Amino acid sequence: MLPIILAIYAGPEERALISRLQRRDPKALAELYDSYGRAAYALVLRVVRDRAIAEDLVQETFLRVWNRVHQMDSEKGALGPWLLAIARNRAIDYLRSSAGRERNAIELNETDHAPLYREMEAEILISDQARRVRAAMDRLAPNYRTVMELAYFEGLSQSEMSEKMGQPLGTIKTWVRTALQSLRNELGVAVPS
Amino acid sequence: MNCDELRDHYDLYALGIAEEPERGEIRVHLNRGCEVCMAQVKRSLGTSAMIGASAPAAEPSSQLRSRILASVGFENRRAGWLPVWLPGWLPIWLPGWGSVAAIAALCVLAVYLGFTGQQYAQTAARLRSEMREQAAQIAGLTEAFAILSGPNTAETSFGGVQPKPPQGKVFLNPARGVLLIASNLPPAPASKIYEMWIIPKGAKPVPAGLFQSQASGRAMHVQPGAVDVASTAAVAVTLENEAGADQPTTQPLIVAAVPPAPR
Repeated sequence: MLPIILAIYAGPEERALISRLQRRDPKALAELYDSYGRAAYALVLRVVRDRAIAEDLVQETFLRVWNRVHQMDSEKGALGPWLLAIARNRAIDYLRSSAGRERNAIELNETDHAPLYREMEAEILISDQARRVRAAMDRLAPNYRTVMELAYFEGLSQSEMSEKMGQPLGTIKTWVRTALQSLRNELGVAVPS
Repeated sequence: MNCDELRDHYDLYALGIAEEPERGEIRVHLNRGCEVCMAQVKRSLGTSAMIGASAPAAEPSSQLRSRILASVGFENRRAGWLPVWLPGWLPIWLPGWGSVAAIAALCVLAVYLGFTGQQYAQTAARLRSEMREQAAQIAGLTEAFAILSGPNTAETSFGGVQPKPPQGKVFLNPARGVLLIASNLPPAPASKIYEMWIIPKGAKPVPAGLFQSQASGRAMHVQPGAVDVASTAAVAVTLENEAGADQPTTQPLIVAAVPPAPR
């Protein structure tokens, strides 16, 4: 759990790290891995459930960050959420392609754009947020938890969830909406009025 | 759609499971710099990242760190093997200078153990040939690696929605050149060869090298040298006579549109 928390919390050191990565400092990449490697690996392993493939995808993730870090605002960027989003998207992309499912690469690529991760930490982070998310997930009703896991860890669309769970699409949409609402309530995130 | 109508879809967008038309609408809002949508999507992406916290803790192998550093050209390369990582593919470890040196050492050892002069000559010739091939491979892989790891490399895919691909990716680096990686591309028939083309916007295709596909259907081709990515519309591949052509003579088997440069 700690690596995830560390991955999501970004401080001044991380901003310096972004600058060093942008200057192609090789030691910065080592530090990046030391900070976020385990978190990314745990996340990817949960998705693909294969250690060797998970390591390949984590390697791919770090190389992608290395190649795109110039997009990151060194003063306002949040490396952790960005890196985890890339890791998750790489894993989902692998899962979909290996299962012969249509790939959502374009959409996934959109959600790993560095500019979306500006000043994120200030909005989403408190120190024990990750634990609270896990507890909130555990407290979800089984169906709600299942749809969240299918969406986040398997990248299933609502239509695919409907097929997999043998439930009407409308029911799935309701479950997803309710699960997200429950998570927001549990996490104390204000729902837009 | 206005932002209020999209409010139930930001989380789905962040999870990558939003559906049309809302997905496209959010994309439009983000592209035009809509502050409301930007803030909502950022918050949803943060929530999405936090859901990752429910993944059980796990430890990668101790080699992963070295692999990652080596894959961007730093830290110790494995003696004799050069890691080449291709996005979306499994990593490939190919012989590097270490194994070339090892082959040379074996060659010397063979002489020492009493090979006849003729056997030695044949073996040496074969090894020299293998070394030349490996050197060419390494040179190509080095070029490919330089393109892949370049900070300004643009990337595009092809064949993703075709029922019968070839599929793959094209990487363009303004200073280094163009790298094409394909799968499901059968070996060219006898006396034929694949030819890559760089197609500038509003101009004729420019030849960008000949290549062959492996029996497995995988192919990698590098066209080294500077390329004007901003003025390139697409990269294409056609099947040509083995001498190649100045202009395409067949319908392209691969067309990879080059995305506009990020603003």
